[in-house]
Amino acid sequence: MIRVEFYSLLRLLLKQEKIDLPAVEDESVGQLLPRIQQQLTTPFLHKLLDENGALIPGTIILVNRRNILHLDKLETPVHNGDVVAFFPPGAGG
Amino acid sequence: MPSADRYNRQILHWGGEKQQQIEAAKVLIAGVGGLGCSVSQLLARAGVGKLYLVDDALIDWPDLNRQLLYTEEDIGRPKLQVAQERISGINSKISVEGIAGRIDENFHCPGDITLVVDCLDNYTSRFNLEESLNSGTFLVHGAIDGDQGQILTIQKGTSQPLIQLFAGSLQPQGNIAAVGANVLTVAGLMANEVFQVIFGEAKLLNRCLILGLGDLHFSFLEV
Repeated sequence: MIRVEFYSLLRLLLKQEKIDLPAVEDESVGQLLPRIQQQLTTPFLHKLLDENGALIPGTIILVNRRNILHLDKLETPVHNGDVVAFFPPGAGG
Repeated sequence: MPSADRYNRQILHWGGEKQQQIEAAKVLIAGVGGLGCSVSQLLARAGVGKLYLVDDALIDWPDLNRQLLYTEEDIGRPKLQVAQERISGINSKISVEGIAGRIDENFHCPGDITLVVDCLDNYTSRFNLEESLNSGTFLVHGAIDGDQGQILTIQKGTSQPLIQLFAGSLQPQGNIAAVGANVLTVAGLMANEVFQVIFGEAKLLNRCLILGLGDLHFSFLEV
């Protein structure tokens, strides 16, 4: 299984903290995203991707604690047992 | 007044040995705005031996809903100057040193610090602060937006750097929502974590506490 976690405003938007999805062989984060959306009743991909499918700033995506922008971005592979976290951090002080 | 009297209520809680650790600590507080006003005040009241304060802003009316060191009479004055005055008035037994200016790529962090506290309001300055630290230095990060807050401790050189963790974050254009009670809640938890770091017992090292203050929800993100 792949554990998917939502934090902060995404948790509030989706009214969910986490879901589990079965792992699919050779899947990337970009391929996982629509599968996550299928499990949710509230749209959220527009918070992550622009109309061309590129990542937009605002939410950090971590795979096993590491930001995918410092891995292979949307091509980052996800495997059975991985944890994928979505967190839109605050900036103010 | 002997420190054993001044601090006797907290010594009842954490004991004399930890009080000595606090009094020996040297902490840099980056930013004396919403979070920084309350964090610096709490550290001063607890007796942290030396505080370095860094800021470059002037006090303005919208600051007064949450920046507890400032009053109407301070409007237009440099935050750093007023914060130093007030902190020294709260505890004259500690040392308070101001560092005026913005935390940019030329910032040099004092070499004698125990840890730094990130009370900044933008990620560019946060990344510059992190870059200025010596390897092994602890940084307690805090941020807030409306009723959502986060607190995280990292150790430079061993933790995932902030500049990597928060890559892709959005720096809002214009003002960020800030309510006094929410800011003080996050600041209080940041000060608590600072004490834990001083004691060698950090609770949020590589573990981000994420606060939903609207629905009183606490969660942890391992990073």
